[in-house]
Amino acid sequence: MGKNSFFKTKAGGLTIAFLVIMVAFIIIMAGLGTGNDMLCTVGFVLIVFAMLYSPVKVYILRK
Amino acid sequence: MMIPVTPLTWGAAILPIIVLLILMIRFQWGATEAAPVGLLITVFTGFVLYKANIRLIASESAKGIWNALIILLIVWTAILMYQVSDEAKAFLVIRNGMRKLLPNELLLVLAMGWIFESFLQGITGFGVPVAVGAPLLIGIGVKPLWAVIIPLFGQAWGNTFGTLGAAWDSLAMSAGLAAGSREYLVTALWTAAFIWFWNVIAGLAMCWFYGKAKALKKGFTAVLILSLIQGGGELLLTQVNTTISCFVPACVSLIVILFLGRLNCYKEEWCIEESSIMNRAFTSSSFDDAPEDMTLVQAFVPYFLLSALTLVVLVVKPINLFLGQVKFGLAFPETSTGYGFVNAASDCFSPLAPFTHASMFLFLSAILGLLYYKRHGWIGEGGVKRVFVKSVSMTMPSGISVIGLVIMSKIMDGTGQTVVLANGIANALGKVYVILAPFVGLLGTFMTGSNMSSNILFGGFQMTTAKLLGVNSALVLGAQSSGGAIGSAISPSKIILGTTTANILGSEGEVMKKIMAICVLATVVIGAFAFVAVSFI
Repeated sequence: MGKNSFFKTKAGGLTIAFLVIMVAFIIIMAGLGTGNDMLCTVGFVLIVFAMLYSPVKVYILRK
Repeated sequence: MMIPVTPLTWGAAILPIIVLLILMIRFQWGATEAAPVGLLITVFTGFVLYKANIRLIASESAKGIWNALIILLIVWTAILMYQVSDEAKAFLVIRNGMRKLLPNELLLVLAMGWIFESFLQGITGFGVPVAVGAPLLIGIGVKPLWAVIIPLFGQAWGNTFGTLGAAWDSLAMSAGLAAGSREYLVTALWTAAFIWFWNVIAGLAMCWFYGKAKALKKGFTAVLILSLIQGGGELLLTQVNTTISCFVPACVSLIVILFLGRLNCYKEEWCIEESSIMNRAFTSSSFDDAPEDMTLVQAFVPYFLLSALTLVVLVVKPINLFLGQVKFGLAFPETSTGYGFVNAASDCFSPLAPFTHASMFLFLSAILGLLYYKRHGWIGEGGVKRVFVKSVSMTMPSGISVIGLVIMSKIMDGTGQTVVLANGIANALGKVYVILAPFVGLLGTFMTGSNMSSNILFGGFQMTTAKLLGVNSALVLGAQSSGGAIGSAISPSKIILGTTTANILGSEGEVMKKIMAICVLATVVIGAFAFVAVSFI
């Protein structure tokens, strides 16, 4: 219950976004290491989505 | 192939910075919300106008995340240290004890917001003074917003020669100044002179914030004496040893302010009741919560440990060399844009030396402090868990904005936007460029959050431009680094550290709005002086 409510807060959402960025980081490093541009693209797109979480939630979804 | 420096490429490169400033200052967006917008513009410009490919953008993003993680290590450990002191209620003891030592409230604010931060900047840097200073000031009753602003001013002067001269060494390296050469010493002299000017401005600004003209009058003598020690001492020491030229005066000023508190003009209890930066309700309501058996020295234990650990590891060369052997970084391939702007491959990018890193000193100090407080019974049942949970949950939100800002600066740098920005200014203005030289330094720190990074980014460029224009390069480089130091007061990455530990995350725009004018004005004065000086030297 406590865990669910934390992840519904802004801090919780940002924590998830942070974790997504960490995953994206690993994917990009794998892509760079193997010269796979598709992995680089997937990783970068994940970063963009995670970064946009806060502005979208605060300035679009709440309005 | 060269990147064309046209109004379009230049305008596109400056656009994300302008958007960032407008969103944060005009619309009061937090950095967590504004940084992604700036980042998206930078990425779009990188792809469309600077002919970057996905591998370059992804590579720079990963470099940005790596650098941001290293910064976040400092944020987390600084917050951990704060939570340890907070849980033990040590801040209340510090507040009460410092009030007794410095009954003059203005002097107390200067001590906790300027002098202590200078000391921390002298050894650690990397935003630690802001992260640690904000909660300390809240502890003596300063409103959270001002508790962030004051340390930002207090630490800025130490950014070039602080952290044992790291940013200065970067400037010397990127501009090709041989250590000990005449050019090296003259550049150090001009840099320190400009920084001294800023140091005086920062001290006076803090007095002004506290109580306008009345506080300015009261604090004038103290500011002059402290600035003479810090700025003047640094100026002299740059000609002897740049590594300790900030740290030594910062330590001396820490001792001197306690003596100032015994002078006739400062030894009596004095405050401005209606001071707009003080939270009077807070001060009176929480006096009794301080643990009675904790002395002032005991309350400062984590900070003493931090100072001792940092000094021993950074100053004692054999220890530093031994612990510095352990380091790790990531390998990145070479990337290039369609214009042939190349980012060289690196086997060990931005290596982290964990045992000589500021976060290690903070972590050990926090843990030892925690054990010490627990042993004395000042941290009770469940306290340890609370300390760790709070520190993690306070760090996470600021992580996104730090990552966004660092990635943005990496992509700007990696696609050549940063170089176009600086070249465009120099090409268009000719010798008048000298006026803007400190703004380039300021811009570098604003973007990267680090005077050192600004000097690495623009040191070589400033040197080349000065030679092309046939002006005194020492003055231009001095303007670059002093502008970079001032820029550390308005850098979103640094502001976030303060708003996080002050628990007012999202107020970065408000903070920036209050300090921007003073920083810009001081930078203009330095630029104008440099412009006049190059005509005669």
